[in-house]
Amino acid sequence: MPNTHNPQPALLLLEDGSAFFGRSRGADKVSFGEICFNTALEGYLEIISDASYAGEIIVLTYPQIGNYGVNLADLQRAQVSCAGLVAHEICAQPSNWRSQMSLPEFLLKQGVVAIDGLDTRALVKHIREAGTMKAGIFCGDKAQANRSELLAEVRASQDLSARNWVAATCQNAPLQGYDAAEVAQDFAAFLKTPKPTHYQVTVIDCGVKSGILRNLLYAGCAVNVVPWDTPAAAILSGSATDGIKPDGVFISNGPGDPEQVDATVETVRALIGQVPLFGICLGHQMLARACGAKTERLKFGHHAANHPVMNLLTGKVEITSQNHNFGIVFDSLGTALAPLAQAPQAPLVQNPDFGRIQLTHRNLNDGTPEGIRLLDQPAFSVQYHPEASPGPTDAHYLFSAFTRLMEGRPDYLDIDIAADRLAEWR
Amino acid sequence: MPRRNDIKKILIIGSGPIVIGQACEFDYSGAQACKVLAQDGYEVVLVNSNPATIMTDPPMATRTYIEPITKASLTRIIAKERPDVLLPTLGGQTALNAAVELAEGGILDEYGVEMLGCKLDVIQRGEDRKLFAECMSEIGLECARSGYAYSVDDAVKLAEGLGYPVVLRPSYTLGGAGGGFAENEAQLRETVAQGLDLSPAGEVLVEESIAGWKEYEMEVMRDHKGNGIIICSIENFDAMGVHTGDSITVAPAQTLSDIEYQRMRVASLAILEKIGVETGGSNVQFAINPADGRMVVIEMNPRVSRSSALASKATGFPIAKFAAKLAVGYTLDEIENDITKTTPAAFEPAIDYCVVKIPRFTFEKFEGTDAVLTTRMKSVGEVMAIGRSFKEALNKACRSLETGHVGLGADTAFERSCADLSEQDFAKGVALPTEMRLYYMAEALRRGWTVAEVHEASQVDPWFLGQMAEIVAFEQHLQAEAADLDDDSLAEPLLRQAKQLGLSDPQIANLCAKAETEVRALRKRLGVLPVFKMVDTCAAEFASNTAYYYKCYDAETDVAPSARQKVMILGAGPNRIGQGIEFDYCCVQAALTLREAGFETIMVNCNPETVSTDYDTSDRLYFEPLTFEDVMDICDLENADGKLAGVIVTLGGQTPLKLADALKEAGVPILGTQPDAIDLAEDRERFAALLDRLGVAYPAAGVASSTEQAVTVAKQLGYPLRVRPSYVLGGRGMVIAYNDDFLTKHLRTAARVTPDHPVYLDSFLEDAIECDVDALCDGKEVYIGGILEHIEEAGIHSGDSACATPPFTLSAAIQEAIRKTTRQLAINLDVRGLLNVQYAVKDAKLFVIEANPRASRTVPFTSKATGVPLARIAARVMAGASLADFALPADDRALEHFAVKEAVMPFGRFPGAQIFLGPEMKSTGEVMGVAQSFPAAYAKAQLAIDTQLPTSGTAFISVADDEKRAMVALAAELVTLGFDIVATAGTLQVLKAFDIPARLARKVSEGEGNIVDAIHDGEIQLIVNIPAGGSSRGDSYRISAAAVRYSICYATTLNGANAIAGAIALLQRAASAPELLAPVALQDLPQMTV
Repeated sequence: MPNTHNPQPALLLLEDGSAFFGRSRGADKVSFGEICFNTALEGYLEIISDASYAGEIIVLTYPQIGNYGVNLADLQRAQVSCAGLVAHEICAQPSNWRSQMSLPEFLLKQGVVAIDGLDTRALVKHIREAGTMKAGIFCGDKAQANRSELLAEVRASQDLSARNWVAATCQNAPLQGYDAAEVAQDFAAFLKTPKPTHYQVTVIDCGVKSGILRNLLYAGCAVNVVPWDTPAAAILSGSATDGIKPDGVFISNGPGDPEQVDATVETVRALIGQVPLFGICLGHQMLARACGAKTERLKFGHHAANHPVMNLLTGKVEITSQNHNFGIVFDSLGTALAPLAQAPQAPLVQNPDFGRIQLTHRNLNDGTPEGIRLLDQPAFSVQYHPEASPGPTDAHYLFSAFTRLMEGRPDYLDIDIAADRLAEWR
Repeated sequence: MPRRNDIKKILIIGSGPIVIGQACEFDYSGAQACKVLAQDGYEVVLVNSNPATIMTDPPMATRTYIEPITKASLTRIIAKERPDVLLPTLGGQTALNAAVELAEGGILDEYGVEMLGCKLDVIQRGEDRKLFAECMSEIGLECARSGYAYSVDDAVKLAEGLGYPVVLRPSYTLGGAGGGFAENEAQLRETVAQGLDLSPAGEVLVEESIAGWKEYEMEVMRDHKGNGIIICSIENFDAMGVHTGDSITVAPAQTLSDIEYQRMRVASLAILEKIGVETGGSNVQFAINPADGRMVVIEMNPRVSRSSALASKATGFPIAKFAAKLAVGYTLDEIENDITKTTPAAFEPAIDYCVVKIPRFTFEKFEGTDAVLTTRMKSVGEVMAIGRSFKEALNKACRSLETGHVGLGADTAFERSCADLSEQDFAKGVALPTEMRLYYMAEALRRGWTVAEVHEASQVDPWFLGQMAEIVAFEQHLQAEAADLDDDSLAEPLLRQAKQLGLSDPQIANLCAKAETEVRALRKRLGVLPVFKMVDTCAAEFASNTAYYYKCYDAETDVAPSARQKVMILGAGPNRIGQGIEFDYCCVQAALTLREAGFETIMVNCNPETVSTDYDTSDRLYFEPLTFEDVMDICDLENADGKLAGVIVTLGGQTPLKLADALKEAGVPILGTQPDAIDLAEDRERFAALLDRLGVAYPAAGVASSTEQAVTVAKQLGYPLRVRPSYVLGGRGMVIAYNDDFLTKHLRTAARVTPDHPVYLDSFLEDAIECDVDALCDGKEVYIGGILEHIEEAGIHSGDSACATPPFTLSAAIQEAIRKTTRQLAINLDVRGLLNVQYAVKDAKLFVIEANPRASRTVPFTSKATGVPLARIAARVMAGASLADFALPADDRALEHFAVKEAVMPFGRFPGAQIFLGPEMKSTGEVMGVAQSFPAAYAKAQLAIDTQLPTSGTAFISVADDEKRAMVALAAELVTLGFDIVATAGTLQVLKAFDIPARLARKVSEGEGNIVDAIHDGEIQLIVNIPAGGSSRGDSYRISAAAVRYSICYATTLNGANAIAGAIALLQRAASAPELLAPVALQDLPQMTV
């Protein structure tokens, strides 16, 4: 048990000088990162273990975190990559039949810096108004140190966009062995037995979440993971995957600024048209960049489990899990065309390299693009997280869509959410 | 697709009178729906028999019918109004059942009325457990193993297969009425027999027991395009086995990991799709085995519910309002999020606080009933509290309840009462689910029980207990370190921590042996001050301007007081018997009219079921406990610049009234009648002096502060006496005493109720006619809103007595005397606002029984009966207007119609309780009937409650000796109406003497074929049972219990029986002259708008 009764003092200091005092709830260290907030009500473990948060300090808005403890099967990556956790109150006495340890114990074990006992709503309002920025968490004696010196440290810390976080994360938090049978057993209380594998899918790992691998597995895909910078030729030939040639290639989520991840863009560019492609989050940005799109930074990102996204092909709304600070600029993919008659709501552009690209999904809160598909190539991607983990599973159908794409079905995206809803649940 | 343009007129059915299991949450949902549909240009035809509702206020709908919610009555209204569609999903189970009857009876087809929201087969699949279980198994979801019993023997066989204990659930009953647990065959036989009778379908579900599992509820919305969202998850603090309505509940779910939550989420959406809910709000309940996560579906309701009201208040997402919009064709993405105004309604609210609901019980009103909580709902109201942690919200909820607790623990009275208990009885207190268990659990933790031990005893999830343990540990720490409060540097962090845990100033005061005022002063000096946060549906992700706030002790406030002139209205807190929806009606009227008059209106209340806690009823809503501390904190904030014109304390019943003195003393301006005037009316001696001065008669009275003194006073006055503790509402502790024995025995109870106040003894005027008057006064002029003549004689609490306006037997002279006396009292009490006076008329002489310078329970009824919105005018007068500013109709004008109010009793919920009416109020709700004549209005009121008014059959008559002469005319009338008479021996003897044909009823002790058997066998249609001296023992008790169980028309007073006979005669005539019962829309009666 960590010492939860007499925690060390801790200070969260933002680049603009805003200071929030609290208690240290994890490793008593100093950590720097870009501050962001996530409004999901549960799923704290999936959030902090998501490698896409590398370099970020996460504020969780739900005020009591850690209530159901830690079950290691829920981790999205065995090693936590985020730069820190901020919560109103972190619980040291959890209760849940699957819990293996308390959250403070886990944080300590993983060396994650965490702070609680501060007004997180005030902090979130500040981020909402001022935008995302650098921050530092100082625990122990350091929390009481000279403020201007600490502030100088925060300001001197590395900018999120100044680094290729994908490379760093894949090195620091490598994907552990992924055992399909073990996963099936871990989730046996909730999920049916996975479908027999019909497809060989090569996953380009930019920091892939275990939830994505699990969803691929349950959709009938054997998963072969390759590093983020694997050349297209090695993927297509199967030389990167013990000789197994892919039926489809999946481009994963990952941390940081997509403009820093050129090797993956190169690979994807060479894969388009050669093999069915599906990308999520950073993978979506990689596909878009491979087609020549620009990406942009959002004011404070989307980090939530409740964002409405409209499928522009069906007009139906999906409640989605979101985690991105950057987004694509759809118009930069090509020149505008008239939308297709059967999808009048879905904007269409002519891409100089790959033909027509359609906007398939849009965020209803702020209108930002959430999904694209290439009409003349077998490739599609979404900015949000159909694997949920955590969050609502409305968009689960996209994994089925990927298998249909590998089958060569032109109607691969035409799936009724309602019919798909209970697909894998026990 | 936006709104449907093929619809013009929408019929909405309300939920009828407030009963246990169906309270004012449906006024909230119905009012929201009426408002939003009217804004969208639809004509709304509303039917609801409950006059105390906001929704039945004439401006809320195009056509408002306060008429019975029965097939016959609704058919008449449909034939008259010809609506295009019926929206049945906003009026609770009552509306849904009525819609099913109309659909099954072919009425909707006959008049071409489409059912919106959900179709008949959907309601059937949702309600019929068998169909429901089939649907669940088709989509691979598990229900508890079960089977249906149509007889007691069926049930016994099923239970043997499932193994005891089993859960019993009669089909189609409200709030789980008639259900329960059976540990063995004997219990099973008893409960099933009752359940079969209560179930309209005559079936009872026998189910494997999942008691002890964790219970959850999901609030779901769906549009016709198939978009589905979860508004809120709710976790029950109490494990399975206690009805959700009686459980402490918490939002959002606290102890589910993401995958567990998501499984429940998809299951909820899939269930709505499978059952076929087209649009609107529904809820789905689940149980989870805490040992292995096994999930079973308990039930779903394809309509808005009590929990959807809670979810709306907990998240800021207006479920009912949007359900109405979805029903007329909008989709979720087309509706704007009402709170943020920038994002669509198609999203799932994110909340950054914790919400705790605790139910409010009134077992003390029903002596003899079992107070253990079961699957049958018994609570009469609830409170909700919002905090930044479960701990803070729990403490706030405890003090919101007004049950004498100032929070969880640090509650000296309760701790003292536990000290006297044996170890064994104390352990029982921890284990048995009762209203008090929460406090026993806290006390157990204080005594050193571990969380595991308390969990073992109570099956409450260890997480909740761990949170409670933190509160208790801190309380012990604070008590031990109380001396630290004398050192500012130590006191500041200690107090801040206390406040962040939700401890109230009185709790801190108790722990540190200080006065509440000292704690408050210290806090203020040290800057330990609250801040207010916004309920914004999005955890601050987006900016929002909706002024819906709660208090906490974080760093930053979301609230900036405006520079406008403000009026604060204090609400009525949790519903209870004696203080319910009527007071919420008054508070809402005040908020609406003062906003129109240009004030910024501020509402403070903690009852999630109400319209007053809808964020758009007032300019600002503070969802906070109604204690001095909590209200004063809001006053400090809102009055920082002196712009608070004042606080209204006279519209919310006793709850705000109790705070009046302290607020005034703290310098807060009180609007309307001043606390001293209230004291003048409450203080019997001061009031008697006033009456003497005015030359107004009142029953001889005395005051006693001890039992001995009371006996002495009784000697002087003579029996019978009305015994009344001071400062009570709903007649709490009030009785009619006929002798010394009864008086002394009762005073032990009454003295316990209000130790600080003496007991009043009034000479009781037997057989007097009682009446209520609601009046307005601005200090110069007085307006008589209405004179309500009670149907039952004096001695029955006015809230339980049926009454009529205009008076149906009082002479013009007496009515004039009543008006004159009321005017005198209002002026001399210096009333600014509302005044209620109760009179007794005996031998053509007028006596004042009591005067209350505040809103009374009858204000909404009187307003609707007369078309004059009394509460609105009162609020305007309190804010400075004169009565002369309003074009009031003459108060002695003749009305063209009669309005009758009838009370609805909850005896069916409290087996074992005494079933006689007396001076202590026991009813939960009321209905109103409007018609051209008194008997027709009375008949409508009777039809509006569940009682069947028989037009033929057998009447049982048994009356006390002093009523026997008066009974003869009644018996003769019943014979003329075609009834057979059976009577007890004494009554029969008198009937024989008058040559009235009658048979002898056998006493219960005389074995088979006795009167109770006859009731059971359906041989009796009308019961007139008037016992002597208000006691109900032996046969009388058994007869009344049987009458309640079989919903047989039942009179306990002669005047009531005569009114019933009149109504029966009218119904017989109405068979050939249906216009006698023609529905009356309030809009067709004279209406005054303010």
